[in-house]
Amino acid sequence: MKEIGKLILVLTLICFIAAVALYQVNELTKEPIALAYKEEKLKAIRSVLPKYDNKPDTENEGKISIVIGKDDAGNDIAKDYYVATMEGEIVGVAFEGISSEGYGGDIVVMVGVTPDGTIHGIEIIRHAETPGLGTKIAEEPFLSLFPGRNLENTKWGVKKDGGDIDQITGATISPRAVVFAIDDELKRFFEKKEEILTKGSPQ
Amino acid sequence: MSNLTEFTKGLWDEHPIFKLVLGMCPTLAVTTAAINGIAMGLATTFVLVASNLVVSALRNVIPAKVRIPSFIVIIASFVTIVDLVMNGYFHDLHKTLGLFIPLIVVNCVILGRAEAFASKKGLFVSLLDGLGMGIGFTLGLFVLGAIREIFGNGTILGITLFGEGFYPLIIMILPPGAFITLGILLALMNKIEEIRGTA
Repeated sequence: MKEIGKLILVLTLICFIAAVALYQVNELTKEPIALAYKEEKLKAIRSVLPKYDNKPDTENEGKISIVIGKDDAGNDIAKDYYVATMEGEIVGVAFEGISSEGYGGDIVVMVGVTPDGTIHGIEIIRHAETPGLGTKIAEEPFLSLFPGRNLENTKWGVKKDGGDIDQITGATISPRAVVFAIDDELKRFFEKKEEILTKGSPQ
Repeated sequence: MSNLTEFTKGLWDEHPIFKLVLGMCPTLAVTTAAINGIAMGLATTFVLVASNLVVSALRNVIPAKVRIPSFIVIIASFVTIVDLVMNGYFHDLHKTLGLFIPLIVVNCVILGRAEAFASKKGLFVSLLDGLGMGIGFTLGLFVLGAIREIFGNGTILGITLFGEGFYPLIIMILPPGAFITLGILLALMNKIEEIRGTA
């Protein structure tokens, strides 16, 4: 009995000390981590939108919420749109698209369009694609395929599927997922355009 | 063994990857690029040194019967610390390595050194052992990552090496490339040992 008491005591003490240490580290890194995620999103918004002088990522300054449908329980599903203005005029809107059709987990893409629905830029925020292959969707040669495209002038699909977008050598699934996500979001933007532009115009 | 050999054994004679063949999960999975190898190696080195020190300091306190759970709690704590710090301060790197950092917990090199070395030896030699093994591991991952990146992507540390005519061997950055490269390096290392006459 004496031995088991010692075992329990030592193990409990080690776990206790570990818990206290981890709590401290968590407290210390909580802020930098939240900041890093925010900065990541902001960086994406900045790079996909034309020049602007408001703060599209802050509430009341450009970030608006639009109802895009209802879930199974009948509650509204809302989506954030980031509206950029320059000298009181709307110059662009940014929004996120998510695809679960990637090779490894969700691909989150930030799309920036001018008010008429033409892409100004895209940025991949998060993905878990095969390093060295699918990861090329986040690199310049692929990203630069998109600016200037809209629903009318482009057949949204990779070339292998008869569309207009070049796939990447050795990786078709990742670009296809990105293309589909952007296509979906462009259609949704087109559908809700009036609402977004009205709600997003500066008072 | 002198203090110096406690350090240098991890670099060649008891190299964690090429001699002990431990820690194969990160070795094969993250070495698609040289920079990933270095980052993973350094994260592992930190955990290895820290856990070696703590295990060595507590070697007379931890009863033999609960030593493995104790080691795992200690190692897991340091891994979580690395994970959080990296996420906060080296966010981009964390995006690439994020999936593999938690796996350091089950890296046999670390538990192996805690069990076979640090739990029996003093603080200072345990520190040397951890540093040597960690640096050896980092170098090993770097070499693997560099070879795979050069052949599979035509770059080294992100710098393009070849002109337009270069056609990358995509298989090298896919999982089979990891096994092929590791096999060739193991063979090469054994050949060198044979020539030295110590094999």
